[in-house]
Amino acid sequence: MVRFGDLFWKALVLTVVVFLLGVLLGFALERNRTGEIEREFQIIDLQWSDAKLQTLYYQNLEPRFCDFAIRENLEFADRVYNEGLNIEDYDRATFLTNDLELEKKKYALLKVEFWLNSIVLKGKCKAKYINLVYFFANDLELKTESEQDTQSEILKDLKEKYGKDLMLIPLPIDADVSVINVMKGTYNISRTPAILINEKIKLEGLQSFDDLELLIKNEQL
Amino acid sequence: MEFITGVYLFFIFVSLYSVFLILLIYLRNRDKLYIEREIKGFYDISIVIPAYNKEDSILNTINAVKNMDYPLSKMEILVIDDGSKDKTAEIARNISGIRFFEKGYNSGKSDTVNFGVKNARGEIIAVIDADSYPEKDSFKKMIGYFDDPEVGAVTASCFVKNTGKIIEKLQAVEYFLIAFGRKILDFVDSVYVTPGSLSMYRKKLLVEVGGFDTNNITEDIEIAWKILKNKYKNRMCLSAKVYTEVPSNLKQWWRQRLRWNIGGFQTVYKYRDSFFKKSLNMFGLFVVPRFFISHVLSITGFFVFVYVFGREIFQKITYWIFSIQNGNTILEVPRLFLIPSVFTFFILLLFVFTIVFTYIGLKTMNKVGVGFKANLIILFYLLFYLTLYPLVLLHSLYLLVMGNIRW
Repeated sequence: MVRFGDLFWKALVLTVVVFLLGVLLGFALERNRTGEIEREFQIIDLQWSDAKLQTLYYQNLEPRFCDFAIRENLEFADRVYNEGLNIEDYDRATFLTNDLELEKKKYALLKVEFWLNSIVLKGKCKAKYINLVYFFANDLELKTESEQDTQSEILKDLKEKYGKDLMLIPLPIDADVSVINVMKGTYNISRTPAILINEKIKLEGLQSFDDLELLIKNEQL
Repeated sequence: MEFITGVYLFFIFVSLYSVFLILLIYLRNRDKLYIEREIKGFYDISIVIPAYNKEDSILNTINAVKNMDYPLSKMEILVIDDGSKDKTAEIARNISGIRFFEKGYNSGKSDTVNFGVKNARGEIIAVIDADSYPEKDSFKKMIGYFDDPEVGAVTASCFVKNTGKIIEKLQAVEYFLIAFGRKILDFVDSVYVTPGSLSMYRKKLLVEVGGFDTNNITEDIEIAWKILKNKYKNRMCLSAKVYTEVPSNLKQWWRQRLRWNIGGFQTVYKYRDSFFKKSLNMFGLFVVPRFFISHVLSITGFFVFVYVFGREIFQKITYWIFSIQNGNTILEVPRLFLIPSVFTFFILLLFVFTIVFTYIGLKTMNKVGVGFKANLIILFYLLFYLTLYPLVLLHSLYLLVMGNIRW
């Protein structure tokens, strides 16, 4: 060992250097992505404040502009949805930091705001769309995770079919967000996947496309 | 950070260390890979050929040995039949110029070689498998190493003789790289195996250490460790070549690898007291720990792999079942996921290093630029063949735990 000891130490030093560089690069990548999400959230936040004010204005002063307010709400929903996909992708590539957790909470809050706004618009504007809130959770046992995956796909198909007539609002019940915890208690959500249609019908467990469609059609009548 | 992320990072650290170590050893010694020892004199060599059911190859092996470029007066050829059930004994019996022994019973390779050593007259014992064919100048290239009194054994580059089928071609690539890797380890006194295809031993040393272990199924690993433990050195002569028959189907290949692995486990267990023993130099500080750690990592890695991918598969299957039950489409276009992470960097780095090692190894063995088909085989070797290793290792572990290690 004595004769080649230097090789073993040099290899160790080289390994430590490359390893640390790799980890630092990983940190930098993750921080950069979180920063990107933060910047996008700031833009969304601004747009959302704008949309909320417009909604207030139209509701209180110009009820004839309901259609416009509903359209704004829907557009906002699309933007939030796309941001959600970004967060989901980034989350899958995040191993070293927990920074994204905060962004996930912000995202959950935005969706709650969107839901509440949808409820208000629906009441004031007598809108026909259906509010469908989908409660899901992270860190689950495998079977429930598969149930959720299936439910998500079914809901995506429903959304595709009903378009602007269906407001799909997915909410994580384990994100440690107080307002979601309150809603979870209010609607007595005990397991996931769970679905709430128009704040009236609560369904727990995996629901088929046909069953959900039937309920949606009944609600539209 | 999740636990599994920590496990991955640990694996990466160990892999990087192995890679850098090999690379540094290579860079320091790349000009010495083919340096041959000057022959100061010819030693008396006893060539021991243990044979069991080798009727197809024994004649060619003996002929190859008889044609060696080495003074005839300094060579004796001992062929020992290990109770063959075919015509091996009949063929060997009629060949002139050899000493033929018929044990009359089958007792395994170690015992057969020990029998040969006992009857040998030379000061150097060359063990050659009955399906291996050394090149004419191999002995001359290897013998000079014994001028160093610290050298206990010398081994050669073992190449594949039968290269018709894909599995044989894959092994050919593997054998080139094994030879190259062994030479690299030679520079740090860590040649951990002296393969039966062609290895030479100092007879005095073999007698001193009690010969080959008859209870070990990879006697060529065990004897190499025994030599190292006795503070002698094993040397690797890259320019000395021997060609050997390799398994020509997956079943035979799998069985051979099970034997190698189980023998490896047996040897590690036997020499467990040498683990990190400073007084044993490279053997205690590198050979035994390296072998042990690589086995542990392979097995752990396999379980991590099973956990991660098993989870994915289970999830996919249950997703399909639920989808069918609930009238959902099961086929979907997956979203493209190309976001770099900490692992992207390390995996790419390790993959590049693997390619570099393969390239340097094959270049050293003069096997680079051998055409599109050969490169395809190399690619297949890197992407698929290597992934079979942990599976065999796991099977070996299972057999060992169940006590089913008869060969």
